Amino acid sequence: MDSADRDMFRGAIHGDREAFEMIIRTMSRQLFAIAFGILQNREEAEDVVQDTFVKAWKSRWRVREPEKFPGWISTIARHRAYDILRRRRTVPLDEQLKEFAAPGNDSESPDDERHQQVRSALATLPELYRSAVALRYMQNMDYATIEQTLGLSNGALRGILGRALASMRKRLKPALATMI
Amino acid sequence: MPTIHDQIDEVLAAAVHNELTDDEQRALHLHLVECAECRALHKEEELMNKALGEAFTDEKPDSGFEKRMLYAFRRKAPPRPSIAAFLVNLIRSRATQLAAAAALLLALVEMGRLLTGEEMSIPFFRESRVASAPMAMNKETAATDAVTIGGRQFLAKSLPSRGVEGDFRTDNERFQNPTAQGVADSKSGLGAFAGQQAYARAKEESRATDDQRGPSSTGGQSAALLARTTTDVSAVPPSTDARAEQLSPSPSTLAQPNQANRKLIRNAHVELEVRSFDDAIQRIAGFANEGHGFIATSSSEKQENGKLRGEVVVKVLPENLDDFLGKLHGVGELKNQTIGTEDVTKQYLDADARLKNARAMEQRLLEILKRKSDDINDLLAVEKELGRVREQIEQMQGELKFMDAQIQFATVTIGLAEKDMDVPAGFLLKERAQVALYAQDVEKSYNEIKALASPKIQITSATLDRDNAGRVAARISMLIAPEESDAAISKVKAMGRVDNFQVQTERVARGGQGMSEDAKTERDKVQLNITIGREEQEAPLQQTSLRIRTSNVGERAKELRSLAEKQNGRVRTSSFARDPNGREFANVSLRVPLKNYGPLMQSLGALGKLENVSVHREERPDAQIDEANAPADVSIQVYSQGNIVPENTGVIATLRRTLAQGAAALMWSVQLIGVALAFLAPWLLPIALLIWIVRLISRARAAKRVR
Repeated sequence: MDSADRDMFRGAIHGDREAFEMIIRTMSRQLFAIAFGILQNREEAEDVVQDTFVKAWKSRWRVREPEKFPGWISTIARHRAYDILRRRRTVPLDEQLKEFAAPGNDSESPDDERHQQVRSALATLPELYRSAVALRYMQNMDYATIEQTLGLSNGALRGILGRALASMRKRLKPALATMI
Repeated sequence: MPTIHDQIDEVLAAAVHNELTDDEQRALHLHLVECAECRALHKEEELMNKALGEAFTDEKPDSGFEKRMLYAFRRKAPPRPSIAAFLVNLIRSRATQLAAAAALLLALVEMGRLLTGEEMSIPFFRESRVASAPMAMNKETAATDAVTIGGRQFLAKSLPSRGVEGDFRTDNERFQNPTAQGVADSKSGLGAFAGQQAYARAKEESRATDDQRGPSSTGGQSAALLARTTTDVSAVPPSTDARAEQLSPSPSTLAQPNQANRKLIRNAHVELEVRSFDDAIQRIAGFANEGHGFIATSSSEKQENGKLRGEVVVKVLPENLDDFLGKLHGVGELKNQTIGTEDVTKQYLDADARLKNARAMEQRLLEILKRKSDDINDLLAVEKELGRVREQIEQMQGELKFMDAQIQFATVTIGLAEKDMDVPAGFLLKERAQVALYAQDVEKSYNEIKALASPKIQITSATLDRDNAGRVAARISMLIAPEESDAAISKVKAMGRVDNFQVQTERVARGGQGMSEDAKTERDKVQLNITIGREEQEAPLQQTSLRIRTSNVGERAKELRSLAEKQNGRVRTSSFARDPNGREFANVSLRVPLKNYGPLMQSLGALGKLENVSVHREERPDAQIDEANAPADVSIQVYSQGNIVPENTGVIATLRRTLAQGAAALMWSVQLIGVALAFLAPWLLPIALLIWIVRLISRARAAKRVR
């Protein structure tokens, strides 16, 4: 984290609205990726990002060190997304998947079908794994930045992504075979 | 150490994400060449990576995403004008900071002024002094300026103008301290300033019209007051008003030519301390002669210590008064001086005019008489009137003469006192003595002391008290001539045992105070207060208690009595008892003089074995006591050991006791266990609940981990 970022976070913590809006500009996509990774739904993910910023602004004084701000705000986003997900889970997962897969089943191209399978496989991963995968593939972020954003310790992401990809690979083995 | 094969998932993911170091990349490459399984996995991983990349490409937020987020944030969390933010902005503003600094400075100055008690002196007032009289000037100058307005020149020392100056002082002080005025007057701060303007205005106007009051409506109370005072002073007519005349009776102004025909009575009062009264009188007489004066009266009085005090009244010519007073200061040390002048011009002129009128009246009456009227009644009436007028004339002539005499000479009253007036003439040595006695027969001693009465020994009071319990006490007070006192006191002391004897001596100065080398000291009568109490009531100086074990208690108790009598002691109490076990006790309490205490204790040893001896002695370091005869109390318990075996000894009794104590201990333990259970029971429920919750949580965690 460079000094400009640190100043921005510090200003936001001390109630500088301009600094906070700058954070909104720079971090919304990351938070969106985190929320989308968990929820797999664009609208809900956008709502999560909005709520996250409002909540972060209201309780900004809780953060003592500017360095911990990204980790803190992404935790808010993850919890918020997880809350929505839990509420959604009162409907059984199978039905959800069916509903998700149902419309236009006939007219789907093989690519769309594969995307659907990838998403289904992604949905079986733990929330943190999903967020990490989304950050990597949606934002093309390097490992160090993802670790910082998610508040992970140094080197932890390698294991997480390794396990996530391996798990998905196993599930999608037949689908992958068609890609060759 | 884990090999690449073990960590292939991690390494493959990092490889497709380009997060491997060069070394790792090389190692992976080597491994892939060797391991077919991992090669297949690598292939799959790359496909997976591609699929994921494609899957997420479509889901990226559009370009207006950030803007939407910003609007949403602004809508959901609009900036609120909070009080804290307002305060922070206010503090940040430069103007507020400057104002705060100024306020702080002002507060410090005010606080300093409050602490030191200094009055406020605003430069503004000093500048305005030129334009409008006495704002920050001292009182005397203010008075002078104010009088100058009236058209007369007076000197600042014109002190007797009390009324006018008093008014000025009040107003002037109000002006010098506007804050003090502010406390009383609600128009405070402005009042002083407006008052000042009103003062200037009033001054201008008062020159035109004598009786006009200054405009008071704008300046408040102070302005009105000041304006009134100013017009009062300026309204004084320059020539005839008596008040103006009274402003100028200072001696230094007398020399002015326009004061020459004034009728003034001057007098002075001087108090001097001199070495010798007679010398001083002579010198004063000399000075009086030089100043064409004389000693009118002189009186003197001799004090108890031989010093002289007196008063001399000297008449001198008024013009020589100042010289005379100056010379007087050389006679002795000046203690006090007052000079007064009374202006009697008006009374003198009035009396003179009345005299002239009366003389004219007399003349006319005489003329009427000369016409020789026939009516006898008329003649009588005229004669009677003439008599009255002549009486008036004489009275007025007398008055004028008296005034002339007063005016002609100034009266100087000189109080003279010789030095060391207060040195005492002598000292009186007063002695007071108190004796407290203990006697065998109080009444006898009382009568013996009363019998001492003689012309040199006066008994002033004597009382003998006897109460229901038979206690007797006597109090006698007497006055003894100094030469007899020692003998009388020693006689009294011989009549009983002296418990306490105190003498207080006091030296009292007569006819003055302080020390004097020459003063004689005389002894006054000695006051002696005696109290007599019975010996029995006296507290012992020493108390001893002991026990004697013997086989024959009754016999030993009798021996004790005889021993005590031999040692000049008395048995105070004695008792005898026998208990069911056959033990006998005899308690004997003795009192012997302290000098016989040692022999008594030695002889006690012969009676049996002494046990538990304890001695308590009352030390009285302050009191003067006759220690040899002071009472010593000895309490002795003579006892024997019984010969019957008591019930509570023996094998069966011991066994019974042991069993009873064992049962009691057992019961006690049971009781304690019950208490412990009662204490722990309420805790069992929450502990069980806690254990249940902990297990619940740990199970939930385990389930999560499995998932």
